[in-house]
Amino acid sequence: MNQTLMQKLFFNRVALYLAVIVLAVYSAFPIYWMISSSLRPTQEILTNPTLLPRSLTFQYYYSLLAQTDYPRQFLNSLIVALTTVVLTMILSIMIAYGVTRTRIRGKQMIIAGMLYAYMFPPLLLAIPLFAMFNLVGLNDTLLSLVISHLTITMPLGVWFLWGFFKTMPFELEEAAMVDGCTRLGAFFRVVLPLSIPGLVTVAIFAFLLSWTDYTFALVMIGSDANKTVPLGLASMVGAFDLRWGDIMAGSTLIALPLFAAFTMLSRYFVQGLTAGAVKG
Amino acid sequence: MTRWLLPGFLTVGAIATLVLIVGPALYAVSLSFYDIPSLTSDPVWVGLNKYAVVLSSGEFWNAMWNGIVYAGLTIILQVVLGIGFALILNQKFVGRSLLRGLTFLPYLLPTVIAVLTFKWMVDGSFGIITILMHEWGLPAVNWFETEAASMFSVILISVWLWTPFVTTTFLAGLQTVPVQLYEAARVDGAGPIRQFFHITLPMLRPILTVIVLLRGVWMFNKLDVIWLTTGGGPLGATEHLPVLSYRKAFALFDIGSGAAIATLSFLVLMIAVTLYFRAFPMEEVK
Repeated sequence: MNQTLMQKLFFNRVALYLAVIVLAVYSAFPIYWMISSSLRPTQEILTNPTLLPRSLTFQYYYSLLAQTDYPRQFLNSLIVALTTVVLTMILSIMIAYGVTRTRIRGKQMIIAGMLYAYMFPPLLLAIPLFAMFNLVGLNDTLLSLVISHLTITMPLGVWFLWGFFKTMPFELEEAAMVDGCTRLGAFFRVVLPLSIPGLVTVAIFAFLLSWTDYTFALVMIGSDANKTVPLGLASMVGAFDLRWGDIMAGSTLIALPLFAAFTMLSRYFVQGLTAGAVKG
Repeated sequence: MTRWLLPGFLTVGAIATLVLIVGPALYAVSLSFYDIPSLTSDPVWVGLNKYAVVLSSGEFWNAMWNGIVYAGLTIILQVVLGIGFALILNQKFVGRSLLRGLTFLPYLLPTVIAVLTFKWMVDGSFGIITILMHEWGLPAVNWFETEAASMFSVILISVWLWTPFVTTTFLAGLQTVPVQLYEAARVDGAGPIRQFFHITLPMLRPILTVIVLLRGVWMFNKLDVIWLTTGGGPLGATEHLPVLSYRKAFALFDIGSGAAIATLSFLVLMIAVTLYFRAFPMEEVK
């Protein structure tokens, strides 16, 4: 009896570790392959590849940075993502705070608008925005991309911060105001500092959405000079005669900032997902 | 100052909502009533003509069906795999926090990278999957050439990318289930499978309801995986409503039809979501 129980426990352990290995390979192997392909010399990529590279090279990174629009596109992505984050923060803080601290009727419309925006097909926004940008001469600019990203990031930010501010007791601000703070002062000195975890989460997801977006960039951006990295990488496949080393190097460079951010801030990612501050 | 702060915030909010969300959505609907051959010429009012043409076309219903297949299969696979992964990650083993991190990584990747890496891995001559399948004596697969294979490819990439969402949210839910429930069940002689179906699933039903809703809406609306992988081909086999709408508006320069398809797909989604709320009432609406 005791021996069969031991055997059963042993087999459970083995099965668990097998499952763990399968899960690790499934999740990480494509990412490993992307990174390692970007570091292998061409002749090694084009002959039967080994699991570990036999020699390493940075040739694709050099050619990518020196001979293509990649640096420009990387900068474009950075400008668009950071601007989107800043505007998302400003707008969603104001809206979420205003909505939680007042009792007027118009606020229902704002919240309903945010909820519907969750469900809009991207093209239901991208087509009219494209037409509008054309009318006002904003077509094919980084600003047009920032504005279109705001249509997704702002509802997420409001939705998430709304839940956050709702749980924050009003008495905290009242106490500060009794002590001589103005409402604005109480907002900056009490509400915002206490909301930092929520603000970090919103900033992370706004950045992630803008940085990884392909759909809106595809519609809004036409010229090579204004492409962001996802759009630029996708058009590389057609332009080059399939230089996989360069493409994998470009992919690695755009994924690394996200992996680094995740390593340092993983709990905010989890918090954001579980609170529904995401789209994807 | 103090008196105007909140009204000021709300005014900004109302304007932003109107400009960014309500305005474009209404404009999209109005565009669907016009024929707009190019953005420089004047639009011609055609009433419901675009809708009549779209609804009587075979490609619309083909795209609708493909969208339902794509969304349906990706949701089922994401939920089943996500729950399975979460159950594994909830066990105690060496390297657990590392694996929790690793399983999340696909979710961070831009779609473009996942698609390009997949295309590289199944490259006909030098792809690692092609080489391994050849070595193991498996037949070569044309991943993007037949109807079934291309649908399989886009589903595979989508499931790989977005399962971490289910894994992470379900895992967070698992950690809130009181341990005493499992202890009591064990005392009563319930095995792991019965514990899962009689404790875990019922306890996590509210979370699961939200997960399925969110993933369903997003998978139905998602353009980029299919557009980047197959472009809707071969011969429309993977073309769903977002791809059809994009192709009409920006490849065939028929903005009116593109807007009509986007509007119709939003209506379909609204109906589906309403029915979903009927069938699975939210226990706690945030």
